Amino acid sequence: MISGSLAGWWERRSGPDTVGDMTGEHPALALRGLAKRFDSKIAVAGVDLDVPAGSFYGLLGPNGAGKTTTLSMAVGLLRPDAGSAWALGRDVWADPVGAKQLLGVMPDGVRLFDRLSGAELLAYHGLLRGMDPAVVDQRAAELLDVLALADAGRTLVVDYSAGMKKKIGLACALLHGPRLLVLDEPFEAVDPVSAALIRDILQRYVAGGGTVVFSSHVMEVVQRLCSHVAILADGTIKRVGTLAQVRGDRSLEEVFVEVVGGRTATGEELAWLSR
Amino acid sequence: MAVPVNAPASPVRRVSARHFVRLKLRVMGNNFRGQGWRVALFIIGSLFGLWFAVGAFFGLAAPGLAGDDRYAMLVAAFGGGLAVLGWLLLPLVFFGVDETLDPARFALLPLTRRTLVTGLFAAALVSVPTVAVLLALSGLVVTAGVFGGWPAALVAAVGVISGLLLCVAAARAVTSAFATMLRSRRVRDLAAVLLAVAAALLGPLQIAGLAAIQDANWDRLAGVATVVGWTPFGAPWTAGLDVAQGRAWAAPLKLLITAVTIAALLAWWSRSLESAMVGAASAGPARAKPELTGGAVARLFPRAAGWLRRDQFGALVAREARYWWRDARRRANLITIAVVGLFVPVMVNLGGRGFTIDSEQGFNPLGETSPVLVSLSMLFVGLLAALTLANQFGFDGSAYAANVVAGVPGRLELRARMTAFSLYVLPILAVVAVVVALVLGEPAWIGFMAGTLVGTYGAGLAVNSFVSVLGAYSLPETSNPFAMNSGAGVAKSLLTLVAMLATAAGAVPMVIAAALLGDAWLWLGLPLGVAYGVGAALLGAHLAGDVLDRRQPELLATVTPRR
Repeated sequence: MISGSLAGWWERRSGPDTVGDMTGEHPALALRGLAKRFDSKIAVAGVDLDVPAGSFYGLLGPNGAGKTTTLSMAVGLLRPDAGSAWALGRDVWADPVGAKQLLGVMPDGVRLFDRLSGAELLAYHGLLRGMDPAVVDQRAAELLDVLALADAGRTLVVDYSAGMKKKIGLACALLHGPRLLVLDEPFEAVDPVSAALIRDILQRYVAGGGTVVFSSHVMEVVQRLCSHVAILADGTIKRVGTLAQVRGDRSLEEVFVEVVGGRTATGEELAWLSR
Repeated sequence: MAVPVNAPASPVRRVSARHFVRLKLRVMGNNFRGQGWRVALFIIGSLFGLWFAVGAFFGLAAPGLAGDDRYAMLVAAFGGGLAVLGWLLLPLVFFGVDETLDPARFALLPLTRRTLVTGLFAAALVSVPTVAVLLALSGLVVTAGVFGGWPAALVAAVGVISGLLLCVAAARAVTSAFATMLRSRRVRDLAAVLLAVAAALLGPLQIAGLAAIQDANWDRLAGVATVVGWTPFGAPWTAGLDVAQGRAWAAPLKLLITAVTIAALLAWWSRSLESAMVGAASAGPARAKPELTGGAVARLFPRAAGWLRRDQFGALVAREARYWWRDARRRANLITIAVVGLFVPVMVNLGGRGFTIDSEQGFNPLGETSPVLVSLSMLFVGLLAALTLANQFGFDGSAYAANVVAGVPGRLELRARMTAFSLYVLPILAVVAVVVALVLGEPAWIGFMAGTLVGTYGAGLAVNSFVSVLGAYSLPETSNPFAMNSGAGVAKSLLTLVAMLATAAGAVPMVIAAALLGDAWLWLGLPLGVAYGVGAALLGAHLAGDVLDRRQPELLATVTPRR
């Protein structure tokens, strides 16, 4: 799906952005006791998580489980009430600038600077990360091409479709060649074609030595992609480990529903729905 | 099981305005829940409103209380007319309209447009300002009652209430229509036209204003008041007095004028509401432009920012500069600065000169006090321009997350935002200085006028850096550039007040210099003012940047709209 044109510039130690040799020694992302309370509601109640470098990590959970809150605290967007987060060995809250340089982030439910066109947005993100303009130009052109956004031309991101917005968001996160990608719901509201494309790009990124952490509630995607899985519900981690450890000999969906404790409609209620 | 599928299970009840009012009260109440400071702000705002209302009440009731019926018509026509004008213009310039009930939320409900407009209108009436204005204008009822007894008071009461309806309808219709216009790309051209019209109006206005003020006497003003009384601006307020003064035939006519105006305004509102409900729709077909050339970076930088280096600072400035033009909410602010910046100084200074002529019997009015008056009006314009940045992060909303994730240093961020805004504002200020100086016939004053403008503007940038970091609030993500969250109104007004006072204090040296230095100020004004402005702005960015570094995530949380 991806042509060779994406010159593998995010591969380990290949670009100017690779930071020393620290990456191998630490977990890519380490969370310790992260907690957050909104008014009277406890959104996240102490999350510990170790994401090994080079893993493809899925954070699973039902709506309202605290996935977005956890990831926001992990990348420096939301100050935790307690606990700490390390990205590639750097403390996100004690050394925010150092940690943020190594991160690529795609938040969910957050707008992009959407009154720029796709190319302008990429240029903005690239320069904001202190990249060389020539490199920004080259990578932006490649990304737009690969993600099939080049045709959009002058269209502002605000006028993009939902899938296109996800893709340009991913491009912004990838542009500076981070070692760790944190993606919140990358497959939400994306059509199958775009989803396949995003999957390919992420798999290639992990194969090149990068680490991906993403949240989702789509079992099928997680089962296909992830090497590691954590299930989050009611603000705490319920299950964690490699995909094989978590699912055992059952399907991931069965484990998930059991852990989260869902209910099934019995047919007695909602009788008025059927004639 | 027995219910057929295509019939509703229970009879449909009619939706009336009552439901909208209750919904609005419920939403307002829920906004207060668990937010102590919001309740406090609301109470403070209500007290301010009450204080203002009581003052205005006695002002409007004064002719009646004093038993002097000469000025009654004057007070009613001009006082009421000012109220209408205020309702029309203040939302556009300063305060925005309360969109607690966003029309777009009703798009999916099976409501007729008539039901919707009546409901939203009724809901709009439930607010602190309406209560305050109603209280204030009921002073007119007292006046009418003193002169004409119960019948006049009754008519006046009907007039005041219908006048209030007219005020609210006018505010809604105008902001809604203006919002619709601002959404389209054509507004770029419209803005240019507006400015041209504003400039063109200055000449005739100068002559008319001078003539009116020179010949000012009570008879003439009374004549004007009578005429105003027959326009929608004065009709509702003067109907009661007509009864009191023995022109009972005029009252029904004036009430009719009011009713027709309200109906027309509501019809107008209802039309623009439709386009607000179906959303931003298309912003109009993009104009055919030359083929895209250059790389992504070259495309980001607008021509006005082309001189910047291609680095973090350059990117921030370029993005902000694009946003000031592409974001309707921001563009509306720019247009306001340009229009108010031209009108207010000319009005103030021509008015001031007129009074001097009157008192000194045609003497050359340009004594040593005039540069001070001009300085004060320039100060107001510079202050207003900088005030636009008071909620600069609120404009971005959650998109600000991109800068947080990239770890942009606070000082760099603030300096870049000032630079980008100044790309638009400094040319506007230069035009203001030149045009006002020419209209006043004092080309030699251009220098110190520009100096005062830039000095005040720079001090304002410094003050508003702090306000924008510490007092940011979220704006709703609607396409209406005048919309704001309920509850934000009071907070916004208070912050605006604080920022204005602080900026004015920061600009006092400019006025003192104008008063003390005399003629030397004409030459020193420009260099001193520019140095003062630039220094203040840089110092502000330096100090506020530290604060921003410490509270980036908190700032992001406050500007992210609650969903």
